[in-house]
Amino acid sequence: MAYKASKNPTTDLRERLFIPELLRGLAITTRHFLRNLFNPRDTNTQVVDRKGANLVSTVSYPEEKTPYPPGYRGLHRLVPRDDGKPRCVACYMCATICPAQCIYIEAGEYETGDPAGESRVIEKFPTQFVIDELRCIVCGLCVDACPKDAIRMDTGLHVPSEYTRSGFVWDIPKLLQGPPVSHPSDPWNKRPGSAPPQHQHREAHTRIGEGLVPLKLPGGEPHKRTEVTDQAIPVTRFLKE
Amino acid sequence: MKALSVLVAIGFIVGVIFVLSALAYLVGGWLGGAAWVSNLLILLLGFVMIIATFLTLAERKWSAMMQDRIGPNRATINVPGLRGRPLGGVFHVATDAIKMLTKEDFRPKVADPLLFGLAPILAFAPVLALFAVVPVGPVVRVKFDWFFIHANSPVGLQVSNPNFGMLWIFAIASLAVYGTSLAGWASNNKFALLGGVRASSQMISYEVALGLGLIGVMMAFSSVRIPDLIAGQTAMLWGSEGELGWLGKVGIPAWGIFLQPVGFIVFFAAAFAETKRAPFDVPEGESEIIGYFVEYSGMKFGLFMISEFAEVVILAAITTALFLGGWTFGFGFDSTLTRYFTSRDLGWLLGAIYATWFWVKVLILCYVQLAIRWTFPRFRYDQIQSLGWKILLPLALANIFITGALILLDPSLRSLAVVGVLEIGFVLALTLKRAEPAGGHDSHDAHGTADAHGHATAPLPGAAAASHH
Repeated sequence: MAYKASKNPTTDLRERLFIPELLRGLAITTRHFLRNLFNPRDTNTQVVDRKGANLVSTVSYPEEKTPYPPGYRGLHRLVPRDDGKPRCVACYMCATICPAQCIYIEAGEYETGDPAGESRVIEKFPTQFVIDELRCIVCGLCVDACPKDAIRMDTGLHVPSEYTRSGFVWDIPKLLQGPPVSHPSDPWNKRPGSAPPQHQHREAHTRIGEGLVPLKLPGGEPHKRTEVTDQAIPVTRFLKE
Repeated sequence: MKALSVLVAIGFIVGVIFVLSALAYLVGGWLGGAAWVSNLLILLLGFVMIIATFLTLAERKWSAMMQDRIGPNRATINVPGLRGRPLGGVFHVATDAIKMLTKEDFRPKVADPLLFGLAPILAFAPVLALFAVVPVGPVVRVKFDWFFIHANSPVGLQVSNPNFGMLWIFAIASLAVYGTSLAGWASNNKFALLGGVRASSQMISYEVALGLGLIGVMMAFSSVRIPDLIAGQTAMLWGSEGELGWLGKVGIPAWGIFLQPVGFIVFFAAAFAETKRAPFDVPEGESEIIGYFVEYSGMKFGLFMISEFAEVVILAAITTALFLGGWTFGFGFDSTLTRYFTSRDLGWLLGAIYATWFWVKVLILCYVQLAIRWTFPRFRYDQIQSLGWKILLPLALANIFITGALILLDPSLRSLAVVGVLEIGFVLALTLKRAEPAGGHDSHDAHGTADAHGHATAPLPGAAAASHH
């Protein structure tokens, strides 16, 4: 229903005298003032459930936090295996589907003759897995796309604040967190001949560049790795290289 | 629990006021004839400036409470016992002061260097000078003899008591416009100039109503000296014959608000417009032009702001002195209190109690002013001018004639008080009248009781309403 503005509003004596209306207005503010002054504030984060005479409806954030709804996702993580290495097999599906193009992956390959390798069951692993948290739009498509349940958004955390932009470029040591996940269908559990892997911890979950298997590139030159430094590195630079 | 801590805080504030007032009397008694020095320091720098400083916090905190918010509570001091306790945001006073003092003091290159610096001073100085003639406590004989400090002299908490009293207020209050208009002009900025012009036109138009609103009080007590006006207000209009035990003489005092309710409204509205605070803050108008201080930063802007709050305190003090009986309790208790303390040579204690009561009234009026500022929206510019010239000025003139006639008719002021109390009662009755339920006008129309314009009004009950139109 539209509000009907009248050119001839009915005003009674009280409104034309002005002062009684002023006093009534002051009474309203004073009533609010006294109620909020003398009554303790209910800190229930569900504001509609607050009890008491105090009318303040603020949730004073750092001290009081509204619990997130059950469907809340939060910061993503790289899911570790039981042995602590990432489940990721560097298939690039997440990086391909990401609408914000914030995921950058470099794949490494196990040496065929390496006895410590796991070439029987897994061929690839990420030597770099970088997410620019400033570009991520938390859509969750990477989680849906992952065939290996290797990336999840189940932490319920926010991205912590940083002083530099490069601090928001998260690599494997920061992303690999949370409880390990194992499925019966995982190849190292499924294949009868597969013994528990005898690998050395020289892959991606260790510090980047530490005991890394050098990639074999067509030119034969050693793989040039991108060092994570304190300087701002936009993730687009990874992508355009 | 919270109510208890609020009451403790209020008691603490009253206690601090009492201690400062007692100190003012004792030091004044020790100084003897030079008591004005201690009054100058303690009343102006101690009371007015400290209250004005804390009003900057109160404005934000109280407005938050009126609007169901929490308000400033982030500043804390990292001291054991106080850690993490905002204490009602009281530390924001310190952070604000530090911010004001350490900000860059920027002056535009095109601004007039001399006048640009002079304007904040000219805006601030008259405000403080206004308070010189306001008496805070009665003149009592301070007599003590402690070790090598002796005192035996009459002391009143008033910086100076000239025989032109209220004329000083009129004269100095109109000087404050120089600061604002100079600030507007010297900034060499269109918006500042607009703000300065608005401020000067508004202040000059309300000057008239301000003066005329107080004429009635001066006529009633036949004086312009404020202590005389307060002494006149201690008289009882209707009171008990003798004293009723410790209550003393009980009755209705001849307070200015009972004698001059119309004068009170006119004066308060006009003085409120002089302080340039909402709803009269068109010169500032932060949503349209920033106002005459748009180019000011740092402590120069701080001076404009603190002078605004000092004006609030001083308006409250003048209103208390002229209309609310000054430091007296009024309705009783005065005669026994005075006799008890003067008979024991504790004049300073009596004075301190009265001065505390004065400041309590002032603080309540400060609250009223802040509540007005946070209740009503800003007037349009033409509304301000028409309120000043078309409503307040005729109202004040009519009030002067009616007051003069009633004083001539009955020099005991009782008929004046009867009219005044009737006016107050009329306004209160209108205020408390139940609002008509929604759709009430329609039913009136259906029954044909409303006039052609749909005004469903009761017949005007007489003189009180007439004096308002």
